[in-house]
Amino acid sequence: MREKAVYLLGLLGALVMIFNLNTVFNKLPDEAMQGAVYRIIFIHVPAAINADIFYTVALITAILFLATKNFIWDSITVSCIEVGTMLILLNLVTGSIWGRNQWGIWWAWDLRMTSQLMCFLLYLGYLLIRPAIAEPTQRASLSSIVAIFAYADIPLVLMAIRLPNVRTQHPGPVLETGQMAPMFKAPFGIGILALFLIGTALVLVRMHQETSQREIDSLRRELHAA
Amino acid sequence: MDITNLTFLFYGYSAGWIIITAFVLSLVSRGRRIDRELARLKSLVEDREKS
Amino acid sequence: MKHGLLTAWAIAQKDLRTELRTKESINAAASFSLVILVLFSFAFDLGREELYAISGGLLWLVYSFAGALIVNRGFAREIPNDCLDVLISSPAPGWAIFLGKAVAAFCLLIIVEMISLPVFGLFYNIRWTESFGSLAIVILLATWGITVVGTAFSAVTVNVRLRELMLPVLLYPILIPLLIGAMGTTTALLGGESMTGDNLSSLRLLIGFDLIYTSLALYLIDFVLVF
Repeated sequence: MREKAVYLLGLLGALVMIFNLNTVFNKLPDEAMQGAVYRIIFIHVPAAINADIFYTVALITAILFLATKNFIWDSITVSCIEVGTMLILLNLVTGSIWGRNQWGIWWAWDLRMTSQLMCFLLYLGYLLIRPAIAEPTQRASLSSIVAIFAYADIPLVLMAIRLPNVRTQHPGPVLETGQMAPMFKAPFGIGILALFLIGTALVLVRMHQETSQREIDSLRRELHAA
Repeated sequence: MDITNLTFLFYGYSAGWIIITAFVLSLVSRGRRIDRELARLKSLVEDREKS
Repeated sequence: MKHGLLTAWAIAQKDLRTELRTKESINAAASFSLVILVLFSFAFDLGREELYAISGGLLWLVYSFAGALIVNRGFAREIPNDCLDVLISSPAPGWAIFLGKAVAAFCLLIIVEMISLPVFGLFYNIRWTESFGSLAIVILLATWGITVVGTAFSAVTVNVRLRELMLPVLLYPILIPLLIGAMGTTTALLGGESMTGDNLSSLRLLIGFDLIYTSLALYLIDFVLVF
């Protein structure tokens, strides 16, 4: 039953994604300045927005774990952070490819790029420390704290890279200056929805694995004790 | 339509799909490993209870 | 509250006294930062102007390396003879233990920084004495940031495999905004600017960082020590 729901969710996400890609590739005209390549934005930005959503969920569940010590919250935290980090990577790579084409360079220390890269590094720390802690309760508590610390850093990073005396060669944040034409808005929103559905399905799969892993741990303890 | 733009559009989307596929594949392989381990441990526990 | 602060002070004194008697990490951190300063002078062959332009970055890289070495010992010092368990089971509140250790690490790092700052000025021919007043504010604020986050992570990683490797992996990404602010302001101050305008907004960032992480760490430390 649970597995079917996950597959259904993933399938729904894939269908929405295919529908959206059809709109993006076949219906939308080329953009005046960039030609065809602007279409990357329909996967690039939804990835970033969904990563933010999953990281925020991870923050909430990390706090809930510390408050309740219920392991279900911890498994949501780790699943959301893994999927979120994957999406940030997706965002960085697609952005870099777009930048190579439009700006002629793979990487510019643009405000948004820098902040996304730092999010990636922060949560990489979480993913690295987690397997290094052997005892399950300790692992869950400590990594929840790391998740909270990492999230608290995001507003500071945003503040720091806006400091006027920080020298960044940035071609201007894209979304803060430009207005989006109305015909792009719908595919944009649907793109966010599609990645959200797929991401949620992945989170659910990962959560189930985490539950099985805990079952394995307890069986092992049982065997050792006997 | 500028041809290089199309090339980079292709690169961008392929990179995206590769990342997602790689993540899904790593999930699947981890899931298999966990399932196998769980089955092995369960049979071990059952054997021990029988004997 | 008052009892907790007294306990924190006692723990800070204890840590400082052991450290100043054995000089384990302070010697290591001071000599390490000197080595890095020497290495950097070989890494870049720069004119006077360019040297001033990277001076803040250089100084804070050295300080944050030294900081990681010092905070690493913070909780690890209590591992032999199960001292950590005794500390946790003592009536001292968790936040007081943490605060004491953070204050001790702060003092040690300040000592190391005060040793390496003149050497830095000497090696790179940079005048720092004139702007020392405002530089001191930046150094105090940013050093507190490094030690408070570092001590918190030293408590997180104290029971973890590969502790010495895990601490920097966690610590440096979190410190990035702090270091950005400190580096920019230090460069500007060494270049002769006064503490106004842009530098004030960096200073606000440093204060914000310190406030956020001090309160987070004091509040969460109980979950770290007793899970």
